[in-house]
Amino acid sequence: MLEEARSRWHPIAATHDLQFRHVFHGQLLGREFAVWRADDGYVNIWENRCLHRGVRLSIGINDGRELKCQYHGWRYSNRTAGCTYIPAHPADAPARTITNRTFPAIERYGLVWSSEEPRGEVPDVAALAEGKLLALRGIPVNAPADKVVERLKAYRFQPNAAIGGEGAETIVEAAQDFAVALHSRDGGAETHGVFFVQPVDSNRSVIRGVLDQEAEGAARLAILRHHNERLSKLRDEVEREAASAPAPTPIEPVYERVSAELAEMPEVTTHGRKAALRVSVARKWQTADGIAGFELRPIKGILPTFQPGAHIDVHMPNGEIRQYSITNGPGETDSFIIGVKLERDSKGGSKCMHETVREGDVLAISEPRNNFPLRRDSIKTLFVAGGIGITPLLAMAQALKNQELTHELHYFAQGEEHLAFADRLKYLGDALKPHLGLSPDATGAELRQILADYRNGMHLYICGPGPMLEAARKIAADQGWPDTAVHFEYFKNTNKIDDSSSFEVALARSCVTLQVPAGKTIMQVMRESGIDVPSSCEQGACGTCVATVIEGEPDHQDVYLNDAERKAGTKIMTCVSRAKSARLVLDI
Amino acid sequence: MITLYDYELSGNCYKLRLLMSFLGIDYKTVPVDFYPGREHKSEWFLKLNPLGQLPVIEDDGLILRDAQAILVYLAARYDPSRSWYPLDNPALLGEVSQWLAFADGITSTSSAARLHDGLFYDFDIDAARAGAHRLFRILDEHLWFGEQQGRNWICSASHPTIADIACFPYIILSEEGGIPRQDYPAIRRWCDRVKRIKGFTVMSGVFPAGPGKIAA
Repeated sequence: MLEEARSRWHPIAATHDLQFRHVFHGQLLGREFAVWRADDGYVNIWENRCLHRGVRLSIGINDGRELKCQYHGWRYSNRTAGCTYIPAHPADAPARTITNRTFPAIERYGLVWSSEEPRGEVPDVAALAEGKLLALRGIPVNAPADKVVERLKAYRFQPNAAIGGEGAETIVEAAQDFAVALHSRDGGAETHGVFFVQPVDSNRSVIRGVLDQEAEGAARLAILRHHNERLSKLRDEVEREAASAPAPTPIEPVYERVSAELAEMPEVTTHGRKAALRVSVARKWQTADGIAGFELRPIKGILPTFQPGAHIDVHMPNGEIRQYSITNGPGETDSFIIGVKLERDSKGGSKCMHETVREGDVLAISEPRNNFPLRRDSIKTLFVAGGIGITPLLAMAQALKNQELTHELHYFAQGEEHLAFADRLKYLGDALKPHLGLSPDATGAELRQILADYRNGMHLYICGPGPMLEAARKIAADQGWPDTAVHFEYFKNTNKIDDSSSFEVALARSCVTLQVPAGKTIMQVMRESGIDVPSSCEQGACGTCVATVIEGEPDHQDVYLNDAERKAGTKIMTCVSRAKSARLVLDI
Repeated sequence: MITLYDYELSGNCYKLRLLMSFLGIDYKTVPVDFYPGREHKSEWFLKLNPLGQLPVIEDDGLILRDAQAILVYLAARYDPSRSWYPLDNPALLGEVSQWLAFADGITSTSSAARLHDGLFYDFDIDAARAGAHRLFRILDEHLWFGEQQGRNWICSASHPTIADIACFPYIILSEEGGIPRQDYPAIRRWCDRVKRIKGFTVMSGVFPAGPGKIAA
């Protein structure tokens, strides 16, 4: 019976058990769950073990958006259960394989239902079809579910309207493996009660009763007490009976490996850029002067995990591909929100998004990628955003706000009407510092002030138009900010690419040597030889196609690496950068 | 200044650290090597408490033993709001005393199981665990019906009392004695609420709660 039970839906908690900012400790057929309701109302049912050291997540912290493991502080996102931050690796974005196993959650009849391998829907219960219901206190019983069900068939109770009376007639209307439907009548008063038995383990169960009528105040309390008393008595009896029989062996839950979908790299295309996801434009709105907001919802299933700083490739109806940062706060995983600025000299990307794409349209997007990860070990974080450069920094600032970490978001824009995502900015409170309508010189003066007091342990994140970004980086360097504390992301690479050189590239791990002629990139040559290279912007801005240099002198033409990284010469962006030496050896 | 004769791993000493933290009272501690030194049975300590038990406090020449008794004393003397030990409310005072006695029961079962598992005491572990489960069932039911009536704490008040402090440590540490709290969802929620009282402090084996949700 228990084998077959795996494919059924069972109640695992009452709705009132899942209070905000609490983690409920559940169990079904031997498998433990950490169950938590996010502030957006979503119910998460997860395997009750941290993927790191196996500690129970039910002792973790539900911060309303993410669940933090109590042991080493790994954070897992609402809905996706993907890891978003590992404190011991503050500079890295966690691998997507670090995703906890989730189980379906449905709230119905005042109960929360789940199943290991559900077939079909949560059962319709005829007696509970209409009206308001009353969920009783769950009664844990140290006995097998079948014994509890057997006893429940003989359960007697008073109907709600005659709760103080005696001698109601209770009949069994239906009985199944894990539920008994009873009907009680006393004169004109009658109540249907359905008693579900949750098989916690081979020798443990919970009785979860639901009545077909709601009640208020003292009457409600009297009904709850009536059933609590009688069900407790029933529990004592069945426990006595169960104690005299040998206890069945506890069920050993099977821990599954990470799903194939997560464990394997996405399919290779000759193109290199992947658009594995289909989303629909749920909302398109003017969020600021010249900036359109897009809310992208998955066509089916849920979206993958993202971290602050991540971007997606959007494949547009006109065939163009553009990168946009995800502006969402932590745990906000039901849709991706992006902001698109209409560029005056648009080559078709932003123009298409503004003019052609409409609400209801379906777009192909890539999985989120994060080459601009956010540290959370900073004593104080400064964000400097220029115009549409707000988007990745907005996601970051919301994450720090949620964790109550010290930060300031300096947002440079032409005017009030150019500030995008007002609702998200409002959430940041005093941390938001707008700087409006400043000339380049005045911006420089302001930045000098903002970046004046560098202390060891501070971090700076900059995103904005090229000239402003250059200025901010220079001012930071002048004022003593080390390269390692300054993080930046360019929208695009405005360097004039010089592809006149020709050189040899040896791929050490692939045992292949290739000739890169003038006019072709390393990436193109590798792809022509059938070597898969992940890429996104393909102009030296996003960092996706980074490769490690083992030997040779790179000719950096990207805007992703900082000066120290360029000097070190150990990394190269294969989409635009080349070699100064005759030969380059890459760790590919 | 108050002196607390203290053992870091003692839940009974933790009760006093908790209350003094809630009340913002300064105190100093004298560590007593309970295990493995058995210093609580040493000659010098038996002069303070002939029962040879922790905790003991010394305050203005007053020497007091027994965690619950000390909670009563500290709250009555140092809590100007009179909420932790509601001296002006006889009915509530009666409730507090009732649950202080219940806390003694938790100590003799849940704490005993923890001493058996953690510090190798020769106790009847099955009886200790069964006894703790019996008490936890009663408290879970009490707290569940409290929630249904909008009551967050053990006693019928809109604020916590020393009864909550007296019951908390050996409940939150029960897993160390092999007593899971999975079957007590209302107790688990109440533990979150205790952890969110301003001034809450942890001890080894007790983890903090995150911030509660602020009503929009």
